[in-house]
Amino acid sequence: MNEPNYIEILLVEDNPQDLELTMLALREANPLSHIHVARDGAEALDFIFCEGQSAGRLITEMPKVIFLDLKLPKIDGLEVLKRIKGDVRTSSIPIVVLTSSREQRDVVESYALGVNSYIVKPVNFERFNVAVRNVGYYWQFLNQPPKIAD
Amino acid sequence: MAGGPPNTPILQLAVGRSTHDGFSSISAETFAEVQQGEAVLEAGALQNAIFNSANFSSIATDARGVIQIFNVGAERMLGYSAADVVNKITPADISDPLEVITRAKTLSLELATAITPGFEALVFKASRGIEDIYELTYIRKDGSRFPAIVSVTALRDAQNAIIGYLLIGTDNTARQAVEEERTKLDQRLRDQQFYTRSLIESNIDALMTTDPQGIITDVNKQMEALTGSTRDELIGAPFKDCFTDPERAERGLRMMLSGSKVSDYELTVRARDGKETVVSYNATTFHDRARRLLGVFAAARDITERRKAEETIRHLNADLELRVNERTAQLKAANQELEAFSYSVSHDLRTPLRAIDGFSQVVLSKFGEQLPEDGRRYLQTIRNGAQKMGELIDDLLTFARLSRQELNKRPVNTGILVDSALQELGFPWQDRKVELRIGALVTSSGDSILLKQVWLNLLSNALKYTRNREHAVLEIGCTTTKGVDTFFVRDNGTGFDMRYADKLFGVFQRYHRAEDYEGTGVGLAIVQRIVHRHGGRVWAEAAVDVGATFYFTLEKDTTI
Repeated sequence: MNEPNYIEILLVEDNPQDLELTMLALREANPLSHIHVARDGAEALDFIFCEGQSAGRLITEMPKVIFLDLKLPKIDGLEVLKRIKGDVRTSSIPIVVLTSSREQRDVVESYALGVNSYIVKPVNFERFNVAVRNVGYYWQFLNQPPKIAD
Repeated sequence: MAGGPPNTPILQLAVGRSTHDGFSSISAETFAEVQQGEAVLEAGALQNAIFNSANFSSIATDARGVIQIFNVGAERMLGYSAADVVNKITPADISDPLEVITRAKTLSLELATAITPGFEALVFKASRGIEDIYELTYIRKDGSRFPAIVSVTALRDAQNAIIGYLLIGTDNTARQAVEEERTKLDQRLRDQQFYTRSLIESNIDALMTTDPQGIITDVNKQMEALTGSTRDELIGAPFKDCFTDPERAERGLRMMLSGSKVSDYELTVRARDGKETVVSYNATTFHDRARRLLGVFAAARDITERRKAEETIRHLNADLELRVNERTAQLKAANQELEAFSYSVSHDLRTPLRAIDGFSQVVLSKFGEQLPEDGRRYLQTIRNGAQKMGELIDDLLTFARLSRQELNKRPVNTGILVDSALQELGFPWQDRKVELRIGALVTSSGDSILLKQVWLNLLSNALKYTRNREHAVLEIGCTTTKGVDTFFVRDNGTGFDMRYADKLFGVFQRYHRAEDYEGTGVGLAIVQRIVHRHGGRVWAEAAVDVGATFYFTLEKDTTI
């Protein structure tokens, strides 16, 4: 992945096929988006909190949106969601859960933790494409995030 | 015959000093002598009284027994006049001969002397100076008999020689009757006591009475058995000593004496051999006629068996509870496993499907131009298959979730539910002509999310199977019979053959061919499961090419 000085989208996805399809959808929406991919929960948290491999990054340079799968290796999506939404420095980052799970408890739990959107990945690629494109577009271009005070 | 002394000579006999055996030889001289003394006067008065008494038979004989005096009483009692008997017979002649014989025998044995059955038997003891009073049956002149008590005294002269006998008799009939009566009464009393006793003894409870101080005054056999002590050992002992907890026993007694009723008061009896028996006491105080407290009457019932039974029930209950808990835990575990399974299916099964569909689509859109027509069609078929499988998975998961999902029962406004289901199905439909007839819909009780699913499935079916109708009619309504509300959705669609009606509600059971009407075959199974979980019933009526009506009821919830 390219790593410019400023990341617009953090995509947290472990499954390579889903990852590729999601990337296709996001690229279709905006071929120029700066996208960073994390393949598990730990990597996602490292990126957001500028630790480990992402130690050089500035925490104030927040992505415009995080696409988060729930079923992840090492640290699962709900835990990632909880940590990000539980920290005042990062709690305003919009998070979209993008998951295969239709389980009510996952939906309920995600909203309880402060998720901004919950999208069940449809099997139908066209619908998947539309969902990702629309949500990506909304959070990237329409949503107005608060100005960060250090 | 009434009046003065009937026979003067007997007076001589009684007090005279004649040396002769018979009074016939008593001299006038002696008589005169006697009459002169004061004692004689006194004796005369006494004799008069005796001889004139109508209640005593006074018979005087000479030494041989021949009757010399037969007074008024004797005449009255025996029916003879003095003239009939004096100088003619002995008292033995007017006595029951068998009794005389018996008396002779008895006396012979008693005194070790041969005694003749006759007058001798009547006076032998008296002749020996032994006071003799005995019972004897006298026989009247008319042959009738009566019991008499006879007192015999020997009459002696100055030299102490026997000159005759005086037999004073009283009619014992009345006394005997009284005695008989008393015997009867005694018997009756004994019977009564026996009856009372047998009541006490035949009671299955161990009974006892105590005095107000708690000292045992009576017990029955059951009480003996219970305590292993004899009646004699128990009576007189403090009742509380019978129990393992004497203080509690004492408290029971005090409660009763203070006027409280004591019932089902449990105590444990300890028998002499140490055996303990749990008993339940019911007790009451008892009083005499003047309402003076006499004591306490207490009945103990052995409740060991009952206790055992209760214990058994407790054990069974505990056991049952344990098993229920185990089973519940197992079910919970199974449910959790199922949930994990569903979760996994939901997640992991769909991911590869998405890849199949997604990359097929990518191939189509990126390289579709380079593919022959068939190639594109095959890829499209792959996509259709993947999407169909996705739907199946979703429906199956929904169906599986219905069984374990808790019902959130509330009053449900059916009208609103139907409206929102119709909205969700795209009402009003622009591309087709559908006439909706919605009747009055009563409020029901249930889980609104699940009930909405029922309406969604039934209405979408109705829409689906009327889509070839020029003029589709959907009728939604409710009828109430015998307090049961029946909801229905009627359509004028393709309907179905009633022979297959029972297959409609099975999972994956389909009536129509997939290419005619799409669907997974789970919709009606979901409807049935939701309705069943609401305690209701679902059924259908249809005719091929005419239409179908689906009915369902819901259990009335009276708590809402």
